[in-house]
Amino acid sequence: MAFDDMSYEGVWKLEPLSEAVLLILVSLAEQPRHGYSILKNVEEMSDGRVTLSTGTLYGALRRLLEDRWIERFKEEESSRGRQAYRLTARGRQILRTEVGRLKHLTKLASLRMAPKEM
Amino acid sequence: MATLSRYLLYLYPATHRMEFGEEMSEVLRERQSEFGKRGALARWILSGREMGGLLQGAAQEHLRAAKGLYSWEEFPIRRIRMRTEFRFPKATPVLMTVILGAVVMAIEKARAIQLSVPPSHQQVPPIQSANFTVLPSFALLFVMGCVVGAIAWAVAYALRKSGVQRLEELKAGRKL
Repeated sequence: MAFDDMSYEGVWKLEPLSEAVLLILVSLAEQPRHGYSILKNVEEMSDGRVTLSTGTLYGALRRLLEDRWIERFKEEESSRGRQAYRLTARGRQILRTEVGRLKHLTKLASLRMAPKEM
Repeated sequence: MATLSRYLLYLYPATHRMEFGEEMSEVLRERQSEFGKRGALARWILSGREMGGLLQGAAQEHLRAAKGLYSWEEFPIRRIRMRTEFRFPKATPVLMTVILGAVVMAIEKARAIQLSVPPSHQQVPPIQSANFTVLPSFALLFVMGCVVGAIAWAVAYALRKSGVQRLEELKAGRKL
């Protein structure tokens, strides 16, 4: 499902992101990372609950690259010249919208769950 | 295990290997050295998961190569849709009603044929009731229950052991 409608409403209409993809995007939002670093960061962020295998990670990365949510570049600081990944403007906007959606849901749930004043 | 994982990369289509093969080998090397620091059981579980992921990934890439494009189901970026509408196509209930009608008509036709045929003179012996032995049936059920219980216990034990180990590692990590 390619994503072309970049408006807020357009993004909002789509289904929520899967947890694995959301964590990959959050991991890349902080700084560009290479494959192993993404795996470790996702594990850390989810307290070990989400453990991606190498095959799953690269399936996701390939898909995100094709949808132009992320881009690949050669790390210059690394002596080995490893490939690293970073968010594109489109990826950042989708992440921002998803976070907005989650915030809205959390706020709504907190309001509904709060004990009613007598 | 590390060598086997790297061999599994050859299952991927050549285009994918050219693009990501080197990176994936690098990640697998780092993963294996990380697994080496853990216990034997955790190492086996994690290595098995890695190999499963590679097999699944290779199958998905081949599917994609065969179809010429990726489909949404290969790697669902978004969560699976909750369908609120009717789960079957609308034609299904109509088709099922037609089939039911045909079955009822066939039963009626068979009954008519049965009535039109004159009864034969041959006597049908009375049907004997089957001997049902309670004890062997219970014994069989008991044995099956034991086997299922043993399997469930083994799975739960393996999961608990790996879970306890991970918790200990987590606690040790937090102390540091």
